[in-house]
Amino acid sequence: MVMLKKILRFPVFLILGLLVVLPIFILTNSVKAEEPHQPTDEYCLSCHADPDLKITLQSGETLSLYVDPKQHSEAVHTDAGIECHACHTDITTYPHPELLYTNARELSRNYYLACRQCHAINYEETLDSMHAQIAQEGNLDAPVCTDCHTAHYVKEPDNPRSLISETCGQCHIEINETYIHSVHGGALIEEDNPDVPVCTDCHGVHNIHDPRTAQFRVETPELCAHCHADQDLMNKYGLSSDVYDIYELSWHGVDVSVYKAIWPTIWHESAVCTDCHGVHNILSTENPESMVNPDNLLSTCQQCHEGVGPNWTDAWTGHHEISLSRTPYLFYVDYFYKTFTYLVLGLSFIYVILQIIRNTGNRIRRST
Amino acid sequence: MSAREQFMTTHAKNIEAKRVYRRFTAGQNWEHAILLISGIVLFFTGLPQKYRTTSWSQQILSTPERLETIQQIHHIAAIVLILLVIYHLGRAIYLLFQRRLPAAIFPTIQDLRDAWQMIKYLLFLSKGKPKFGKYNFEQKFTYWFIFIIVGIMVFTGIIIWFPELITRYLPGGLVPAAKLAHSTEAIVAAIFIVIWHFYHVHLERLNVSIFTGYLNEEDMKKYHTLEYQQLTGEQVEDADTGGSQ
Repeated sequence: MVMLKKILRFPVFLILGLLVVLPIFILTNSVKAEEPHQPTDEYCLSCHADPDLKITLQSGETLSLYVDPKQHSEAVHTDAGIECHACHTDITTYPHPELLYTNARELSRNYYLACRQCHAINYEETLDSMHAQIAQEGNLDAPVCTDCHTAHYVKEPDNPRSLISETCGQCHIEINETYIHSVHGGALIEEDNPDVPVCTDCHGVHNIHDPRTAQFRVETPELCAHCHADQDLMNKYGLSSDVYDIYELSWHGVDVSVYKAIWPTIWHESAVCTDCHGVHNILSTENPESMVNPDNLLSTCQQCHEGVGPNWTDAWTGHHEISLSRTPYLFYVDYFYKTFTYLVLGLSFIYVILQIIRNTGNRIRRST
Repeated sequence: MSAREQFMTTHAKNIEAKRVYRRFTAGQNWEHAILLISGIVLFFTGLPQKYRTTSWSQQILSTPERLETIQQIHHIAAIVLILLVIYHLGRAIYLLFQRRLPAAIFPTIQDLRDAWQMIKYLLFLSKGKPKFGKYNFEQKFTYWFIFIIVGIMVFTGIIIWFPELITRYLPGGLVPAAKLAHSTEAIVAAIFIVIWHFYHVHLERLNVSIFTGYLNEEDMKKYHTLEYQQLTGEQVEDADTGGSQ
């Protein structure tokens, strides 16, 4: 008995026992993992890497089934180990089940729903967008996830940032053409400027709203102010960051801020930033093509103020603080009221107080 | 004995004649009333427009139609005020040609002397108040100050009412200047009228002659001594005025 106890206590037996048992565990587990439940990318690409692979749909369209292995290997999903079957959930093996879609668009509009599995929030946002709205109205060309991000070659959408305007420009060709010649677009394309707005900075990303509504219009000044009221950012480019605050005090600005506050859905004509500066065609004031270049300012005003004369442009203080050199009339009026108001009202007040004191004094004297 | 004669013999002793003095013509009473009403309407319809970004204003101007209505009321009151100004100036010019323009309202050197004397009196440096004629320097100041205020309000109001038309003839820079002046001057006018004019006609004494046209003998003697003396030929000795004359 003593002998047995000694043997049992001896750690060699324990180690030996483990050496027998552990490999069994490890082996059984690895056997499970190797069992091919789903086809791998390599398995799929063994056919789909063929550039000539295609089928003809019921509509008569030819649908290419080619996936470029090189581009696919660079996609973010490939990097993350997400394979074909994650999206193509209905295809588990070869031969594939029958394709139920009659045309290519129907196919993409159904397959893209796979994105929702992981990107639920972005998907929900798209439902609120202008694009979803026009799709609902029957325009099936309205973009879905894969139209902007591609299906098999999804990359970081903003690397470089100019990729964003290129993506939108696939459909919004004319606007993109205008944008790349603007001060913002030019800086983006030429110097990959990190500060200038790309499409999504103003329009939103997935929940892009109709920019032609009254609401979007009255919110425009605030939108521009995100950057143009940022002192550090504006200093970098030698621009004034007071433009928004001074606009808010102007005739146009007060009007627009009231509409924004209480009547955001009622259309109002009072000028917002884009009426004078342009939308996608915004240029530096110094550019002779700019709508707000001093030479073009009068015709820009005349868009709304029909038939006004050349003196009219001086009625606009041009986002500048009151100054003797730029706005002499305003300067003198401002100076006059800043001094005169306090002087005349103050003296009147003192005079009346003195009268009250004196009259009270008289009454006291009479009554005693 | 007729009933009237009987009444006179029994009660005439108790009736003391109270003389009143015409201070303003009926036309002037009307002018003041129109100025007062149009001024109040202009002030209260202008205020919510000046403070459009505040919530109290937005409660009043709760729809774009209300804003338009209040602007229309403001413009109608402005037309009334402009017509009044035209009448007032037109009448002054007419009287000038007739050589009947009353001189009493124009400031003179005597007003400066009176003001100096009054300040000394108010500071307890002098016992006597100066004696005044038909209009004292306070009243002249009120008239001319409001004269200038109305002038500024009408001029700047027309500019911001028709800025596109005005800038064909006048510099564009006048438009924002007029807007600032119009909205600031309105507040100056309101404060001035409340502290200066209201004190003099409501608190110091209740003086309603601008509505009735007449002033009683007591106030005539006390506040318009020189005019009273001129009209009646009587000398006035009053403790309040010092009575050195």
